[in-house]
Amino acid sequence: MTKNRFTVALAGNANVGKSVVFNQLTGLHQHIGNWPGKTVEKAEGTLHFKDYSIDIIDLPGIYSLSTFSLEELISREYIAVERPDLVINIVDASLLERNMFFTLQLLELETPMIMALNQMDMAKKKGIRIDHEKLEKLLGIPVIPTVAVSGKGIYELLEKTVEVTEKKVKMEPLKAKYGKEIEERIEKISSLLEKIQFKYPARWVAIKLLEGDNEVKKEITNISPEIVSTAEKLAKEIEEIHEHPCSTVITSERYEVAGRIAREVREITPPIKPSMAERTHTLTTHKIFGYPIMAVSVLSIFYLIFAFGDYTSGLLGDSLLGLKPIFEGIFGTGVVGKLFWGGVMEGIIGGVTVALPYILPFYFILYFLEDSGYLSRIAFLMDNLMHKIGLHGKAFIPIMLGFGCNVPGCLGCRIMETTRERLLAAFVVTLVPCAATTVIILGLVGAFVSIQWALALYIINLLIIFFLGRLAFKALPGEPTALIMEMSDYRAPHLKTVLKQTWFRLMEFVTMAFPLIIVGSLVIKMVEILNLLEPIANILSPVTVTWLGLPAITGITLVFGVLRKELTLIMLATLFGTTNFAQVMTPVQMIVFTLVAMLYIPCIATIATLVKEFGWKKTLFITVFEILLALLLGGIAFRLLSI
Amino acid sequence: MELRLSDLRDGESGVVISIGTRRGRDRGDAGRVGRGWKFRKRLEDMGLTPGTEVTVVRSAPFSGPLEVYVRGSRLAIGRGMAERVFVEVKR
Repeated sequence: MTKNRFTVALAGNANVGKSVVFNQLTGLHQHIGNWPGKTVEKAEGTLHFKDYSIDIIDLPGIYSLSTFSLEELISREYIAVERPDLVINIVDASLLERNMFFTLQLLELETPMIMALNQMDMAKKKGIRIDHEKLEKLLGIPVIPTVAVSGKGIYELLEKTVEVTEKKVKMEPLKAKYGKEIEERIEKISSLLEKIQFKYPARWVAIKLLEGDNEVKKEITNISPEIVSTAEKLAKEIEEIHEHPCSTVITSERYEVAGRIAREVREITPPIKPSMAERTHTLTTHKIFGYPIMAVSVLSIFYLIFAFGDYTSGLLGDSLLGLKPIFEGIFGTGVVGKLFWGGVMEGIIGGVTVALPYILPFYFILYFLEDSGYLSRIAFLMDNLMHKIGLHGKAFIPIMLGFGCNVPGCLGCRIMETTRERLLAAFVVTLVPCAATTVIILGLVGAFVSIQWALALYIINLLIIFFLGRLAFKALPGEPTALIMEMSDYRAPHLKTVLKQTWFRLMEFVTMAFPLIIVGSLVIKMVEILNLLEPIANILSPVTVTWLGLPAITGITLVFGVLRKELTLIMLATLFGTTNFAQVMTPVQMIVFTLVAMLYIPCIATIATLVKEFGWKKTLFITVFEILLALLLGGIAFRLLSI
Repeated sequence: MELRLSDLRDGESGVVISIGTRRGRDRGDAGRVGRGWKFRKRLEDMGLTPGTEVTVVRSAPFSGPLEVYVRGSRLAIGRGMAERVFVEVKR
């Protein structure tokens, strides 16, 4: 029997438990990637239910279908153009009004839809009771109450999904009515629109034109500029009647309808005592206590990750290196053997010892904190500081991640709203000293010069971030966005979802970075086999020796450092034949070398991430810029310190 | 009286009158396209439409963002944004 296949899209606000529903539905059949050409994450999965194969697309969590962010644009394009067989609108039962505002917009897209009324348990705790049958009647679409974290209602949701796609359910979706003066004008524009072919429903386009939606305006202008000018005239009329901009009037009325529905179906008996979540919120956003709590949590997380990473990384590295004799047994110690071991295997080992010990726990904690709601509190507390470099509070999260590893840092920039902000944040992240850079700072300057100098280098790095961040903010065209985000109630993270999110993001990193790491180490191994190391050191010597005042050998280590930054230090020891760097380098040389190693290039895994997120051109620009910057500062430091 | 949302004390409530598209007094008009449009649309999409009651729960120190309570949910709004929301307050 052939299976029936169809596509379902999950849509809803952020923090409604959408990813939990997605993970409950799809299990381990998932694929995480980006929307074509966009820095927006796309999660897809497949599910087998009865005789059906259901492809599930998790749309980004958004609050509206305007064009404020890439996510909103992608979502509406997807629903209108790709036309999934069904949209499941996931709704937070405890925040019905805001969620309904989005539901009404989805309904305006005239797509087949059902609703999952999620987080019923949390609503109950807040004393909110919802009559879902009444809601179903009001909206004219099936409404299924769910508690995704415990799996409650998921089966019913699937059954309803199949019923609806098999057209066994009669639906009469609600068409939210605006005021008479607006409806008349929507009617006028719609009748004009019916004469042209367009991917969106006529009524929806008419509303968007009245709202002044730039994207829709642009596209309709290409087809029929008269419609746009008519719509502008009509919008002006509405504006004159209400003495508010037309888009404001429409949004207000939509919220009116949303609020009315919410009030009709819910009953609230507020609990007498503030909940645990409420008290935690008050404490963690407190004017005074909020900051030390944040500092302690962030620092202890870092400490734990580094302790864990250092230990497991060493263990993994040692046991993998133990495979060397076996490898040499198979491939011999000739050129082929060297290429296989030194190129491919050492590349893989390098990747594994970064991915598993550091990136895995990083992602785990990131998703854990995100799911719990603490990340938004951190963004709230850090907003002010981030504004100093032209970003807003949310940017602190990728930057914080960057201190561990630049790769999750760069990927984390997806939480910013616009492409401009994402690029800006990613640029700052690549300048952040990651764990590997910290190893160099402490292992070289900290151990052989003084801990004060190590600290000074760290501070210099932070100052550079600050100034360059500001500079990039001024230089990049486009408008800055300010912070506006929901701070949802604290909740216990759903461990299974967090684990799955961690795992699939780790796989994303592996498929993205490993090929580049392996190719990179193969190339370098080849250079070594062909005895080109010394010539390269000589070619680089005008820069390393003359300009930076370093031993010629450092040129080689800096080349290797592109693979992994801590290799600069490891190679230095190998090439000098000693780990007592004080014997072979002067303190000034060590400081200059560390300064250069800190800034000179994003490592190859970071480059791979940047390429994936922003394309070759921007990546090349950032890379070249940082090389030049490192050399410039290194040269200046050498001259200043040698006085 | 009419105040900016950012001028409200912690715990104080007001009713949204309008959202200015630029700093200063030219609120409510112009700038339907571009800069102001997106900015205002965002605030309104999050529920801050004229006539809505909004409560400032607390503001972060050093003129940081505001935590506001609107339409049953909790939002963090950057101070720059809050400065452009005009509210009617009973004092």
